[in-house]
Amino acid sequence: MEYSSSLPRDGRTIVVIGSSTGGARTLEVIFSQFPLVDAAVILVQHMPHSMNNALCRHIEEISFMETGIAEDGEAIEHGKVYVAPSDLHLKLIKNRTISLFDDRKVQYVRPSIDVAMTSLERRENDRVAGVILSGMGSDGAEGICHIKSIGGTTYAQALRTCAIHYMPRAAFATGRVDEMLPPEGIRENLIRFAGIL
Amino acid sequence: MADESSRRIMVVDDDVFILEVMEELLEPEGIGVVGAESGDECIAELANGFRGVILMDIMMPGKDGWETIQEMIDRDLLEGNVVAMLTAKDIPDVELDCLKEHVIDYITKPFEADEIVALVKGYLNYLP
Repeated sequence: MEYSSSLPRDGRTIVVIGSSTGGARTLEVIFSQFPLVDAAVILVQHMPHSMNNALCRHIEEISFMETGIAEDGEAIEHGKVYVAPSDLHLKLIKNRTISLFDDRKVQYVRPSIDVAMTSLERRENDRVAGVILSGMGSDGAEGICHIKSIGGTTYAQALRTCAIHYMPRAAFATGRVDEMLPPEGIRENLIRFAGIL
Repeated sequence: MADESSRRIMVVDDDVFILEVMEELLEPEGIGVVGAESGDECIAELANGFRGVILMDIMMPGKDGWETIQEMIDRDLLEGNVVAMLTAKDIPDVELDCLKEHVIDYITKPFEADEIVALVKGYLNYLP
């Protein structure tokens, strides 16, 4: 689909989506006809390495967002989805630059949703949101707490709509999730949060 | 998007009825179905070159679904496949926690015909 990049500006709007088993179904709904939004979207999906390119290709096919595998040292831009590559952790440096690094797995996974989310900082003019989708374990719960603590917005997938509800449940149990939403609701709220470019 | 030649799946289930149902549902959609009645048959198909979507039953006599996935990893046969688990259990097995990087989805039986067709079509999008 066609896209255009946003103009550089001081503030950044950053959305980090954490997804695991069953999350692909939800991503299909979230990104279907997803407009070009005024935010950089970081997607941390637990998946085998061989799926990385296909996931990027598919999101780009069904949405209006430019989508690619995140690269080390890359400066984030609005209107793009950055997919965390398998086998590396991803964090943001000063909410601006992607850093990929090889470290031990956290809760059996690399990339870790918690690692990505907890790297976000409270910075003037920046807005951040975190989303936890279907999955086993509790990856993302610590990240959601952190995002809330720096003034961000937090969502998790409504439990009844999850293939595996453990990750959203763990996030909800922290008491720091603003709203539990079905996939369609997450889509609508993210568009509203980011605004359309 | 997966091309026509890669529109095929392997159903790994010791329940022959499930294999037949999958064929009836998916082949009219242009999706070829390979049946494997055990983990060993699945491994043999992979060793013979099958690559595609794999729907893997968990509870099978002999090698269960988790052990089969572990063998796929150990023998370097996982690459190029998209794996979803089939289960009759409401509560996920603990094995999923340490293998979740390798499993795209977890489908609870019984499933609706429309649901399984839509899910499999979705998984085909994630093949390399």
